[in-house]
Amino acid sequence: MTSRPAGVVRGIFLATALVIVLFPLVWVTLASFKTPQQLNDPSLLFFLPSLDNWRFILDGGILEAAGRSAFVAGVTVGVSAIAGSAAAYVISAYKAGGTLTRFGILAAQVLPPAVLVFPFLTIAYMTRTNDSLIPLIFAHLSFVLPVVTWFLIGFFDSVPRSLEEQARVDGFSRFKAFLLVVLPQVYPGLGAAIIFGFTLSWNDMFYGLILTPTKSAILPVAIAGFNTFRGVELGSMSAAILVAVIPVVIASFFIQKRLVQGISGGAVKY
Amino acid sequence: MRRSPAATSASLSWFQLRMLAPLIAVASVAVGLPLVYAFYLSLTDFSLTQRGAAELVGFANYGASLTNEDLWGAIGTTFTYVIIAITLETILGLLIALSLQKQEWARDLTRAMLLAPMFITPIAVGLTFRFLLNDQLGAIPFLLDSVGLNYDFLGSGKALLTLAIIDVWQWTPFMVLLLLAGLESIPKQPLEAARVDGASAFYIFRRITFPLLIPVLSVAVLLRSLDALKVFEYVYATTRGGPGTETETIQYFTYQTGIQFFRLGEASSMAFILLLIVLPIIVFLFRRLDQRASK
Repeated sequence: MTSRPAGVVRGIFLATALVIVLFPLVWVTLASFKTPQQLNDPSLLFFLPSLDNWRFILDGGILEAAGRSAFVAGVTVGVSAIAGSAAAYVISAYKAGGTLTRFGILAAQVLPPAVLVFPFLTIAYMTRTNDSLIPLIFAHLSFVLPVVTWFLIGFFDSVPRSLEEQARVDGFSRFKAFLLVVLPQVYPGLGAAIIFGFTLSWNDMFYGLILTPTKSAILPVAIAGFNTFRGVELGSMSAAILVAVIPVVIASFFIQKRLVQGISGGAVKY
Repeated sequence: MRRSPAATSASLSWFQLRMLAPLIAVASVAVGLPLVYAFYLSLTDFSLTQRGAAELVGFANYGASLTNEDLWGAIGTTFTYVIIAITLETILGLLIALSLQKQEWARDLTRAMLLAPMFITPIAVGLTFRFLLNDQLGAIPFLLDSVGLNYDFLGSGKALLTLAIIDVWQWTPFMVLLLLAGLESIPKQPLEAARVDGASAFYIFRRITFPLLIPVLSVAVLLRSLDALKVFEYVYATTRGGPGTETETIQYFTYQTGIQFFRLGEASSMAFILLLIVLPIIVFLFRRLDQRASK
């Protein structure tokens, strides 16, 4: 359809964009296999890979931090999926809660964390749960729950109401019609919402830095601990970064298409 | 007994209420309670180091924050950052989305790779760039040096731009994702008709594609702006607010006031001032999304 020169320009442009996107990731991967001496030479591309950095971070508590991150993300997204799908269904089907509820759900997603973090910290001190994962889970629920609910409202909107009406005629209670007939229709959307919600919790550093700074540090906080920036630690920092990056980047490949519909609350379909 | 219509609608709302109850319960504890408590804190002289109970001081914290030149400096820095980052992301995002839409070869793989940065934890992105930009060990100064250039990325007058570029690296994919979806949902007929009439590609873009893309574009810009206003990790990873206070953003300044200087009351008042600033953007975004969803 388009002319040849335009196609060539487009190809070069996209290739440049790809190089810019991939370059930092490749660089960090290379650095994670370099010895401190090799790190002094930024031009070094081919070398005998060393696993010292990886051994160092695996012994140094990164796996425990990753475990805590996965636990917080898992609990947060589990609660969000259950509470969110029930609420999203009645909000979509019956406009339950009205405009104010929908506005609240959107506003909570974009609320600056600086507003909520200090109350979480003082309440944690008062209840002697400071530096534990409990306040962090509540803090993460404050944004993961609204995001998951918002996603699901959009997905429920695209399920025809006649399905539920037919299930009611067949003798299902309202709840059974929701659980057994309507909910399975949005399983792919629910899956995308769960993966995205998990990613949001896994990636958050701000709440973790303030609520679990030391003994219960989650992965992003543990990575930020490499910020001392002594040359020796760059290799292990790179390895730790990859531990945080690889799982979510792989998971994201499966949800990219549904993400648009979810983020826009069903306003934009892909 | 026959059920009256009123009873039916009452049982309906009872069902709705039960379905909403878990959300309301969790949101009250995770959002409602801390929000109310934050407002209370903002009216006290609460400090983490202070023994004894906090005392109510009315709106004194707000007065202090509003006359705090450093806070206004941080607000100005944040808005400069947001405007630079969002402008570049919109232009690049639009160009990349238009190119991807026409690209056939290795289509899904190209898209997946180009979108990857938006899923990475921002602290990892910040630290990676700090490493890449390091004068002795980083790849970028090394490459520039090999062509005889010398640029101090985190130096005075340049650091904020560098932070905005990091934002562009990570979040242009978000723009691409939404704009690509917007482009692909545009009906084909008007485009075909214009092409048959001999309209140029640029004319078609300016008069047909772009106007139809504006709803999605505005949602993408609003969402990105709200997110970029919260910038914290890049500052924490690279400059810690420096050189001087050049890269002190609102979220970083509030963090310092609350956590490093323990003044939680004052920090909470700053957070509420920030909330007042973003509230109109949230309302605007809601109107855009809700109108379109209920169509």
